[in-house]
Amino acid sequence: MDKLHLEIIQPTKIKIQDDFDHIIVPGVDGDFGVDLNHTAFITKIRPGILQLYKGKRIDKYAIHDGFVTVENNIIVIICDTIEKENEINHKRAEESKKRTEKRIKSSGKDIDFRRAEISLKRALVRLHLSGK
Amino acid sequence: MATLKEIKLRIESVKNTKQITNAMKMVAVSKLRRAQENILQARPYADYINDMLKTLKLKNTTTSHPLLTDISGEGKTALIIVTSDRGLCGSFNSQIIRKAQSHIKKHFNVDIICIGKKGYDFFKTHSKKVIDSYINLFNEMDFSISKDVAEKILNLYLQEDYIRIDVLYNEFKSAIQQDIIVKQLLPIIPIESENVSKLDFLYEPDEDTIIEELGRKYIHVDIWRIMLESSAAEQGARMTAMDSATDNAADMIDNLTLFYNRARQAVITKEIIEIASGAEATQQ
Repeated sequence: MDKLHLEIIQPTKIKIQDDFDHIIVPGVDGDFGVDLNHTAFITKIRPGILQLYKGKRIDKYAIHDGFVTVENNIIVIICDTIEKENEINHKRAEESKKRTEKRIKSSGKDIDFRRAEISLKRALVRLHLSGK
Repeated sequence: MATLKEIKLRIESVKNTKQITNAMKMVAVSKLRRAQENILQARPYADYINDMLKTLKLKNTTTSHPLLTDISGEGKTALIIVTSDRGLCGSFNSQIIRKAQSHIKKHFNVDIICIGKKGYDFFKTHSKKVIDSYINLFNEMDFSISKDVAEKILNLYLQEDYIRIDVLYNEFKSAIQQDIIVKQLLPIIPIESENVSKLDFLYEPDEDTIIEELGRKYIHVDIWRIMLESSAAEQGARMTAMDSATDNAADMIDNLTLFYNRARQAVITKEIIEIASGAEATQQ
């Protein structure tokens, strides 16, 4: 097998099932690239950009959570939310960014900072990808 | 004996009822199909997480993450009871409530969590141990909704000292058959599987984080599946109930029509007799 087989599984559907040459995944401890014969590996995904290389084409996806496992050139990503570049609603992401920033600045005691932080990160990833 | 007009009104009203029950049956059929599709689509995700958890559990016999470790002995448990939000679905809700009552009698210290309005309505008056309820969720089923429910249950389990959380729900077998199932939700017991990986994985950041996250995702998708199963079973039960209601209405219409025709005939006969006897009287 001279290609990486990638499956992206969501609770409601299988999003992608295809072969690629090279994949870059945003892991919790930093982005990492996967080439052929990568070691067996499990990691959590942080909000970021997933890049799929196939020939000269690069597909970019905003991914927000989940896991990736690499095993014998088969890569499986399980996640709840993933959007391709052109599926992102730029306006909505912008609004969500403003809303969350406001919430963090208001610094009330009963704010769930962890949630706000995740939400802000998501919005930033979306904006970054759809802004280009 | 009822007058002709009364019978006619009765027939009209039964016809209306029949139309309504028939429409409800059609709606149930389409909702059932949607729930079934969702169940099928969630399967790869659920299977994959199960296989991963099984792999991790087999490899690390020493790990004692609370999501995966059985706590033996006596203690506080919780029971999640999944019923429907709406009625008119035969004995669907009453059966599950009966089962829940016997479960609660058998295990002494049981707190109750209700998903679905019918169960909540019953247990809020019959029991003082309802600690949480989620109602009116089944109308717009969405993964993010069930994920919120799952998160709250997970936090409850991790923060309070429950030794076990069980779930009681209807599983969809076929349109005419539902099975009531009691299942241990937490701590997680991964199902036996053949797809257990033998490779040694590198974990990032560390094993415990991975187990915790996988465990959470497992519960998310399990609650999602349970709610879908219950919803499919509910629609199946409603379909059967409405089907027999429609049949009964049709029978009733037949009987009433027969009755109506008899009454009509009796009236005509009576009129003819009156005319005939009147004519006879004038001839004499």
